[in-house]
Amino acid sequence: MMQQFFQLPVFGVFITLIAYFLAVKLRKSWNYVLLNPVLIAIAGIICFLLIFRINFETYNVGGKYISFFLGPSVVALGVFFYEKYEEVKQNLKIFILAVLAGGITGVLSVIGLLLLLKAPEVITRSLAAKSVTTPIAIEITRLLNGIPEITAGIVIAVGIFGNAFGPFILKKTGIKSKIAIGTALGTAAHGIGTARAFEEGKLQGVYSGLAMCLNGIITALITPYLIELIF
Amino acid sequence: MLKSLLYIFGFLIAGELVSWLFQLPVAGNILGMLFIFIALKLKLISLEDVKPASDKLIKYLVIFFIPYGVGLMVHFNLIAEFWLPISVAVIFSSILTLYVTAIILEKSGK
Repeated sequence: MMQQFFQLPVFGVFITLIAYFLAVKLRKSWNYVLLNPVLIAIAGIICFLLIFRINFETYNVGGKYISFFLGPSVVALGVFFYEKYEEVKQNLKIFILAVLAGGITGVLSVIGLLLLLKAPEVITRSLAAKSVTTPIAIEITRLLNGIPEITAGIVIAVGIFGNAFGPFILKKTGIKSKIAIGTALGTAAHGIGTARAFEEGKLQGVYSGLAMCLNGIITALITPYLIELIF
Repeated sequence: MLKSLLYIFGFLIAGELVSWLFQLPVAGNILGMLFIFIALKLKLISLEDVKPASDKLIKYLVIFFIPYGVGLMVHFNLIAEFWLPISVAVIFSSILTLYVTAIILEKSGK
């Protein structure tokens, strides 16, 4: 009876919006990195679905309407990239080189480590794009025949890791340049890392946002070929 | 707003069309992102044409991937079984990515 009600698209849409709204409020009361609003919203919705014995498929009848907007959002990243690009023109060559090197390192090292640790192929296919922004990573995983839901979960976790520990790791390894810190955060930890970069400073934030977009493009272009070479 | 939304969806459908027509191993929305960047760069369209919708989409981007994150619940057993290799690989790879990117810019003196 109730299950039929949950099948209505508005259920999935509403619970997603309210979970995120509450998670943002929570973050505002306690500013703590693990209280990442997306993480809290996802965990909250999963708990709700488990408690009321609602299938993911049932929730996703409405959820699909929300995730549909990922497509146009990726196009919007192109606009964002253009805007930021105008600000960093002078260091363009070395910046592209750094993101390219970091991006390729990210894909190859995660594939290599997962092979070494004997993880199943489907996990390797799902995590190859773990450094890039979630909507792009999801698309890459789809093309690679991985599981996009695993990608989404791990990509968010990577972002939170970069947000929480990125600047600390970089300082410990002797990195001082603001541009280097920003670019590294965006390349390794996408939008969630970029949020931290903006906390470090405007220059770091701009480079981070740009690196996030560029690494998204680079990873989207090279990963299908790298995976084909390996499997 | 309507015009800018139309541009965004126009570039999205152009990307999807090219990806589908040529059976490319790149998603249509990623091609759409490249096309809109090129169009802005070549001044075929102006930033004001697309900015209202793109700013809004980026502002709420994180909400759009929540349903995928919730989908993780379906694969909970797989994650639980392989959490250790996943964590080790993802953490080391992320540290390496951070370092390689940063050291190139640091050494170049930027």
